[in-house]
Amino acid sequence: MLPPISPSVDLSRGQFALTLIFHILWPVFTIGLSSFLVAIEALWLKTGDEDYYRHARFWAKLLLLNFGVGVATGLPLEFEFGTNWAPFSRFAGNFFGNILGFEGAMAFMLEAGFLGIMMFGWRRVAPAIHMFATCMVALGASMSALWIMSANSWMQTPAGGHVANGHFVVDNYIQAIFNPSAPWSITHMWVACLETSLFVIGGLSAWYIYRNRHRAFFLRSFKVVVVAAIVITPVQIFLGDGSGGVVFEYQPAKGAAIEGHWITNPPGEPAAWSLLAWPDQAKQKNDWSLEIPYGLSLLATHSLTGQVKGLRDFPRKDQPPLLPLIYYAFRLMAGIGFFFFGLMIWTVWRWWRRGLTPDNAGRNKWLWRLWIGAIPLGYIAVEAGWTVREVGRQPWVIYGIMRTEHGASMLPASTVAGTMIVFGIIYAILLVTFLYFARRILLEGPDVTMEAPPRRGGGLIDTRTAWETGEGQSSEGMK
Amino acid sequence: MNDVHHFLADIWFGLIGVLLILYVVLDGFDLGVGILSLGARDDNERGIMMACLGSVWDANETWLVLLGGALFGAFPDVYAIALHALYIPIMATLFGLVFRAVAFEFRENSRRKRMWNIAFGAGSLLAAIAQGFALGAIISGIPVGPHGFTGGVFDWFSPFSLLVAVGVVFGYMLLGATYLIVKTIGDTQSRFFHQAAFAAWLTVVVGIGVSLWTPLKFDYVRAKWFGENLYAIGTLPLCAAISFGVLLYSLRRRHEYAPFAWSILIFLFSFIGLATSLYPSIIPPDVTVYSAASSGKTLVFMLTGIGMLIPVMLIYNAYQYLVFRGKVTTGGYGH
Repeated sequence: MLPPISPSVDLSRGQFALTLIFHILWPVFTIGLSSFLVAIEALWLKTGDEDYYRHARFWAKLLLLNFGVGVATGLPLEFEFGTNWAPFSRFAGNFFGNILGFEGAMAFMLEAGFLGIMMFGWRRVAPAIHMFATCMVALGASMSALWIMSANSWMQTPAGGHVANGHFVVDNYIQAIFNPSAPWSITHMWVACLETSLFVIGGLSAWYIYRNRHRAFFLRSFKVVVVAAIVITPVQIFLGDGSGGVVFEYQPAKGAAIEGHWITNPPGEPAAWSLLAWPDQAKQKNDWSLEIPYGLSLLATHSLTGQVKGLRDFPRKDQPPLLPLIYYAFRLMAGIGFFFFGLMIWTVWRWWRRGLTPDNAGRNKWLWRLWIGAIPLGYIAVEAGWTVREVGRQPWVIYGIMRTEHGASMLPASTVAGTMIVFGIIYAILLVTFLYFARRILLEGPDVTMEAPPRRGGGLIDTRTAWETGEGQSSEGMK
Repeated sequence: MNDVHHFLADIWFGLIGVLLILYVVLDGFDLGVGILSLGARDDNERGIMMACLGSVWDANETWLVLLGGALFGAFPDVYAIALHALYIPIMATLFGLVFRAVAFEFRENSRRKRMWNIAFGAGSLLAAIAQGFALGAIISGIPVGPHGFTGGVFDWFSPFSLLVAVGVVFGYMLLGATYLIVKTIGDTQSRFFHQAAFAAWLTVVVGIGVSLWTPLKFDYVRAKWFGENLYAIGTLPLCAAISFGVLLYSLRRRHEYAPFAWSILIFLFSFIGLATSLYPSIIPPDVTVYSAASSGKTLVFMLTGIGMLIPVMLIYNAYQYLVFRGKVTTGGYGH
């Protein structure tokens, strides 16, 4: 017995999209930056170079600002499943709710439980304990990516259970958690967080270098970024390719929509890849397209004549909507991934040619300009990728099992429209305020004379209270 | 549903209760501090009040995230039906908590703090009121059909839920004031002693009102309270009354830690009273612990993944409190 269709289903979708699109901006940077800070703090502890300590303190300011917005905007998502998607929640709770619970217990609490020590505890705990706290924040942040991607992947490629009495009942947790899409999606998203953050940190460092402020200081963070990018950028291209393979295998309609592929190629014949096209749902074909022979078979199946299902094999009602959006969002994401790879190669070459010394750094203006321009690109790629993933899953909320319109709560359209407007206004305020304060922090720049605490000594906790040390509790961070 | 499944569902009812009371007490004092900040004497005092929460508010709020996830997994029907029925109070809670959360960092960065002072105080107040309405609405019962919630979007509002909301606000103010006594000194602390006593009286008056109205209005509560368990249930208000008496005494004697502890106990006894009144229902009249529970396999899996971690979470949260123990004398949030 199917639940009735709610009059506000499209508004609930709109509100969920709005809150997700806005929220994902923040954890991306929290995950990447906290991992970067683990590396920076470890470098400080290993080398004793105080500049690394100053880097840790400087970037932590941005982390804290970013984290506040991330926490604030993440909370609504935990509850919107129930408020706006009650039938979905009842159906999927056995698995989906369970995994969100794991995320809370293993990821968010870990992050929150150590964030205070990481941010304000520099002189209250021993350096080794502080390092541990930083690691726990980064681990907690990364674990949240693991669980949320597992849950979302299950909506893409549900596995590991059966439906009974209107509920999905789990038979095999390993199969459900590591459903076909999960391994690729978890790694693809986690690496996307690292990559986006690397190009933000690298871009901001480039901005200081370009303006000749603390040039030697920021060449350090820049080089850490470049070393990481040597690994991360090619790995991400590989993971993107793997994620695509899973889509073509398990969600062929989405795969065909991504590539504007309408007609299944006959056995033994290649499918061409359209580099650029305009997919037209009404005509059930591309208005025009620029094609590369053999391309799609090669991309989707890694063979010259592999068969790729076309969109016309699916009834109209089972095809994803908004085809041009899916088609171009995918190209935007992939293009940015390759741009990052190219920028990395060029930078490594400049480094090889001794272009990254404080004396020579002023000469390649375009290198720095490109890095500065790359700051927002990772975010754009993440949003584009999520658009492909979620719009491409339509018309299903759980692929092949539950259609989106059957998952929405029965709510008056005016109510959902009202909350959506409030979300829109609040989030606009948050974004503007964040950018305003982040700009101020960046203009102020790092404190390059700050003294680091001793690297050794200290106990599990400072046995003196803040009162005895004469330090106010929270002005702690300044010293 | 077999005996083992019954037992697992009961365990999860207990664990959800533990998570709920942890959230209510821990974020309750955060929200209470926020509400009290609306009446702060000056910006310095408001800064101190916020600094008292600086290192802990985020972890405290995270108990709500955990509660949401655990409820979603263990009792999907309760999660779906309650949140759907309480759409407006839940959204109001979320909006309030969004403002409260960003206020810390934004206020610290801001040169004109007024806007974020209001965001902190009003956000806390809004969240507390909305949580109170949600609680009142659940006690009042939620109509359910085969596809879930069948009522209207304003069903949560009633004179009864309004009274509960007022009680929650006063109760949070009591927790906030007694927490601030622990964290402050001098004149500031002295003011919180007065505020705590004031909030304690208000809380108890409204608490008595709610406790009298509930069995008069709701048959299921009356049957529970005045049935065979009269004496067992009767000890709870007795314990709460004793706690209140000791609380007032400790405030008068200017004890620093005792008032906070006794305030928590008042919450605890009230909460146990509420849980026993509802059980085995979770959402009266139709949704019970057993009808709403996930499969046995899910409950066991969650027990290993979440239940076993609760002690670990408590330990590292306690460690963070230990690291940041002591008095707060200056405002600010870590820059």
